[in-house]
Amino acid sequence: MNDQIIWIVLKRLRTPFLVIIVTFSISILGLMLIPGADNSGKVYYMSFFDAFYFVSYTASTIGFGETPYTFTYPQRMWVSASIYITVIGWFYGIGTIISLIQDETLRKAINRNSFRREILGLVEPFYIILGYNSITKSIINRVNKNEFRVVVLDRSEEKIEELILENFYPNVPAFVGEASNQKMLQIAGIHQKNCFGVISLFENDSKNTEIATICRLLNKKVDVIVKASAPQHLEYFKSIGLEHVQNPFEIISKRMYYSITAPHIWLLEMWIYGHALNLRNRDLLPHGKYIICGYGRMGIAIEEGLKKAGIDYIFFDINSEEYKQRKDTTIFGDEEDVTKLLELGIMDSECIIAATKDDLLNLTILNKAKVLNPDIYTIARENSLDGINIFQAAKIDRIYILEQILADTTYNYLAQPLTEIFIQEIRKKDEEWAVVIVNMLHTITGANPDYFELQITQENAYALSLELSKETKVTLSNLRRSREDRNKLLHIVYLLLKRGEEIYLMPESHMEIQLEDQLLIVCDDEGRNDFEYIINNIHELNYVLTSKEKSYNFFQKKD
Amino acid sequence: MSMDKIVSGFFFILAMTLNFGFFIGDITVIEQHSAFELFAAIIINIIATILKLGDKTQLGAVLLATSLVADIQLIASATVWAFAEYVLGGLNVESTTAIVSLSGGALLANVVSVILFVGDTIKSKR
Repeated sequence: MNDQIIWIVLKRLRTPFLVIIVTFSISILGLMLIPGADNSGKVYYMSFFDAFYFVSYTASTIGFGETPYTFTYPQRMWVSASIYITVIGWFYGIGTIISLIQDETLRKAINRNSFRREILGLVEPFYIILGYNSITKSIINRVNKNEFRVVVLDRSEEKIEELILENFYPNVPAFVGEASNQKMLQIAGIHQKNCFGVISLFENDSKNTEIATICRLLNKKVDVIVKASAPQHLEYFKSIGLEHVQNPFEIISKRMYYSITAPHIWLLEMWIYGHALNLRNRDLLPHGKYIICGYGRMGIAIEEGLKKAGIDYIFFDINSEEYKQRKDTTIFGDEEDVTKLLELGIMDSECIIAATKDDLLNLTILNKAKVLNPDIYTIARENSLDGINIFQAAKIDRIYILEQILADTTYNYLAQPLTEIFIQEIRKKDEEWAVVIVNMLHTITGANPDYFELQITQENAYALSLELSKETKVTLSNLRRSREDRNKLLHIVYLLLKRGEEIYLMPESHMEIQLEDQLLIVCDDEGRNDFEYIINNIHELNYVLTSKEKSYNFFQKKD
Repeated sequence: MSMDKIVSGFFFILAMTLNFGFFIGDITVIEQHSAFELFAAIIINIIATILKLGDKTQLGAVLLATSLVADIQLIASATVWAFAEYVLGGLNVESTTAIVSLSGGALLANVVSVILFVGDTIKSKR
């Protein structure tokens, strides 16, 4: 790749070099052959050096004057001719070099080179993100900080420039390139050992399919994270062995179902995604009749959820594009629309879901519904993150933002894989269990607890892994003691323990910890710091485990 | 037969022959070595170098390298000449020997270059 640049330059510079050499040599030769006169009038022939010196500064238009002696007329005639040929030759050469610097092909080659070098220089694990938009931006923002590095490919130059202006730290290498182009993927480092995966969340399912297939063929080991909403694509992805397929509609469908049948399970899931850990009144979905506006992918997904939950629903088949064409507006709510809503029974319905592809249409539908029936519960689908403020201002009870869901789930998959397992596990439990857990979290870790993931390795838990390698038995409850006073308990709760392929939801406190165990732990503000301090510091750990202070005396025999 | 081959072959061989022409003669006697011949040798060598630019093959790279060697040697030879003439105040046996032997080195590089070129031509099936 590096050679490419040199070859481009050399090839372009061939003619200008030739022109300069030929014009210079003709002028030099002429000057040497034409007799001049020295100060006393004797005949003097210029030497090579004289001629070369004179032509060099004349051609480059520096012009020091006539050296070594004033020229004779025949010399001047030759010089006037040679000025024209050498100066033109010189300018032509310079012009070519300058245009070469500005040359698009060369600039691209240089940029690509530096992009490639940057990626070869990455030592941390990284993900390749295809397409830069608000979803991937929010993923980059969260992932880039600590867990992984990110490389971005986008086919639009504008998008790449936008990304560069963001000034991510650490730097996010980005380059203009078609995502389905094998060569670009290779340059982006898909073959590199530290390339963990490729993230492709394009709106277009078949594009994702194409990319996933290419990535699989290029490197079997990389993880491909794709979005898919149609069932045939989902099946295809499973068949080529993709573990992680993002389907935002399926997520919405499940959330609907749990929100209605088991609000506390829903709450735990939403808490993982940043919701506060308490159920407000507006978080509770009504159990009455639902109106679903729009029978698209989202409508079908919601139907599935509602059907499973045994809720009565009715479809209002409204297609945003068709509506826009017919009425020439996206403002919903003329008389015809109102009659339609009334016909559907808006007055005795308890919830209305606006699930069309058009954000403005969704907003106006819900507004109209609220006017007609102020008590109705409103749910909106929001397609892009850009309009988030309008939706918040419109006082809609619940908003499903597709881009946000994609970004959140992808981030969790990348950075907090245990949370996903946790969500799957709690879905197998019932509402009563969830109520108990939520209450327990409240009493131990406070109203708004945080969580973190941890793997017991030498790097993350130095003291503990040292202790474990001595085959000391350490149980989960041992580690829950406070380092201030070991009779007190730390404000932490173990949510999940993963050992190899085995998963323990709410592990028993007398369980023994082993090396390489992964833990999902809930904590309050101080809990995390304390816990990490204990498992990393030999003295603290010793105190917590045995209540004895370890001696600092070096002369004492080691026990 | 291509025009390209004729032009480049012409310059490669001319570079060698001119170089040889300058080199031949008593190594200590500057009168036996024409300054014009050295000038011509330098110019033709540089042109030959430029003609070798931009060839991406392995052979092209080696040809370019030999040519660059010849250029450097010849230019060094001319520089020694100018330095001895103007700075040291005239040629002596030592500088004359240096000038001619530098061009001798360039001749060697040129010979290698021509051998490679001829070898490639013989190998070619067209």
